[in-house]
Amino acid sequence: MSAIANAQPLLSRSKSRDGHASFTVSAREAFWIALEALRVHKLRSFLTLLGVVIATTTLIVVMSVINGMNLYIADHIANLGANVFILDQFNWANTSDEEWIKEQRRNKLIRMEDYEFLKDNLQGYKAIGAEAWRGRNSAPVIRYRDHALYEVQITGETPSMMGIGQQQVGSGRYFTESEYEHSALVCFIGNDLVNEFFPNSDPLDKVISIGGQPFRIIGVAQTLGKTLGQSQDDFVQIPLTIFQKLYASRPGIDVNVQANNSDQMLELEDETRALMRARHHIPYKDTDDFGINASATIMGLWQQLTGSIFAITIAVVAVFMVVGGIVIMNIMLASVTERTHEIGIRKSLGARRRDILLQFVIESGVMAGVGGLLGIALAVIVAKLVDMVFTASVPASAVLVGLSLSTIVGLFFGIYPATKAARLDPIEALRTEA
Amino acid sequence: MGVQTLTSPVQEYYAPPDSMLIRVEDLWKTYDMGAIQVNALSGVSFDIPRGEYVAIMGPSGSGKSTLMNLIGCLDTPTSGRYWLNGRLVSELTDDELAYIRNKEIGFVFQTFNLLSRASALHNVELPLIYNGTPAAERVERAQEALRRVDLADRMNHKPNELSGGQRQRVAVARALVNNPSLLLADEPTGNLDTATGVEIMNLFDRLQAAGNTIVLVTHEHDIAARARRIISVRDGKVARDEQVR
Ligand SMILES: Nc1ncnc2c1ncn2[C@@H]1O[C@H](COP(=O)(O)OP(=O)(O)OP(=O)(O)O)[C@@H](O)[C@H]1O
Ligand SMILES: [Mg+2]
Repeated sequence: MSAIANAQPLLSRSKSRDGHASFTVSAREAFWIALEALRVHKLRSFLTLLGVVIATTTLIVVMSVINGMNLYIADHIANLGANVFILDQFNWANTSDEEWIKEQRRNKLIRMEDYEFLKDNLQGYKAIGAEAWRGRNSAPVIRYRDHALYEVQITGETPSMMGIGQQQVGSGRYFTESEYEHSALVCFIGNDLVNEFFPNSDPLDKVISIGGQPFRIIGVAQTLGKTLGQSQDDFVQIPLTIFQKLYASRPGIDVNVQANNSDQMLELEDETRALMRARHHIPYKDTDDFGINASATIMGLWQQLTGSIFAITIAVVAVFMVVGGIVIMNIMLASVTERTHEIGIRKSLGARRRDILLQFVIESGVMAGVGGLLGIALAVIVAKLVDMVFTASVPASAVLVGLSLSTIVGLFFGIYPATKAARLDPIEALRTEA
Repeated sequence: MGVQTLTSPVQEYYAPPDSMLIRVEDLWKTYDMGAIQVNALSGVSFDIPRGEYVAIMGPSGSGKSTLMNLIGCLDTPTSGRYWLNGRLVSELTDDELAYIRNKEIGFVFQTFNLLSRASALHNVELPLIYNGTPAAERVERAQEALRRVDLADRMNHKPNELSGGQRQRVAVARALVNNPSLLLADEPTGNLDTATGVEIMNLFDRLQAAGNTIVLVTHEHDIAARARRIISVRDGKVARDEQVR
């Protein structure tokens, strides 16, 4: 007559038939509730989200600035010219202060004799040139009629330097070998000087005064533009021979070597190193007392620098995110208390623990995600402003990282309040005042 | 076998016959208030067959709501057994009870318990959301339930844009939308004026005529008079159980 009650499989149906469908349906309901909550409590939500907004903005702005600088460096600075390396007194990419101090102490200036030696003994290079620099703050005044320019970059060059770097002749020509040998008073100028001295006339064959000496303009370089806000076109180049006569009889120089192709670069660098070590009589065990610098060297240095900027940013963003997450957790706890009656209603209608858990975790995640979006929007504006005075370019990856990071923070810090909500007893919850 | 009997005796509870929708057997509910223990229910037993219309009456504090909450699977008894629709539900976990509440039970409360920010339609959709009914079917069934309680023209109103009687009808529609085997109502007319209360009771009469099993709690004799059976509760015990029609 009677059957054993336990024999009936009570809940197999609920799991097999409803399990997955009810999850997606109640997730959608949770999403709807989350957006509704944001809509109703706009100001409260915004204040709650400030931490996440600031964290996301910081992250993206820093990523954008570094990205922008990367592009600049790659474009303007690190690109010394195709397959070019530079022999200088120092290694430009010193990793530590000790190394720097050590190089300061023992490295010797590179001299014209070194250049002549390499020119004769290095095998197979495409071009080799030398240049000497005059510091901007000790630069002589340059005048044309009643106009004067100060702190212009003045360098002495060998004629072979044209074509080794990025620089191109815009009009006129570069020095000839003969002008170089005879220490001719000729100069090759950047476009900034043209704009200043000859806004409406042809600069070629005009004579300007450099520290009182008359120099005839034989050529103007193609405009290079700005790098990190610094004009690359305010320079005057003169033959290295006249540079020596006027400013320094034995100047320290850079030797620029151009290889025929990238494969030959290392070979030539090694050969140069060997020749220089022999000239400087460096014992086998000792390090170089000169530096060989290439684009890769500068990029390496730059990446080290950005690495540490980035590490600091990560720390700052992490702190903001945790603070933001805790604020969200706090507001979610308040929200659970506030909506205890609602939770009771939902439970009385068949919402399971996981449905309630999902509702609050999703609400928290959506809220933080919206904070992330606000942060991204703010970051895009800030990046635009930064780009006007400096450089910044928002990478797509930053947007993705910002959005997912903030959402994850929201989901994570929503777990505790959501667990509290899910564990509420339906009767107790219903009994609280709405 | 012998050893097993000694350490964990096999309990055999006999389920009620199929015609019985509900069987409660020696139900106790004790609230532990620290210093004292309050027995809200002290050994309640009865059967309710399918299609029955039962009114539960009794003085305030006699344990009516406690009993309804147990029958409605919102709460679990301190001891005793409860079968609903052939299943022993008195020993289920939270989530299993949630499933029973969703599928088997429609509960109408004195205070309506509607979500104030959601429309009537969305309120009625809720039970369907928690069993994964797809959106299109959900809306259709919720609209149908609202039509059954004559609220076709109020579907998009929020609860605070509805009268008390209309709110309670939304609650009834919500209770019915999943076609539960049992409709429970704890003082459904308690917050309504007499005329509106009559309106709701007429609705219950129609539902009973259509084959629903109804258990309701009331203080009013003329409302109880509509039922076919009246169970009187006093001090957590069944004082009287009479078939009135
Ligand atoms: N959560 C609780 N904690 C402690 N005691 C409780 C709790 N809920 C109910 N009680 C007690 O159990 C008894 C029965 O309460 P119940 O709510 O079932 O009464 P009722 O018959 O529904 O009364 P009313 O007609 O006033 O609604 C009362 O003495 C009450 O104080
Ligand atoms: Mg009561």
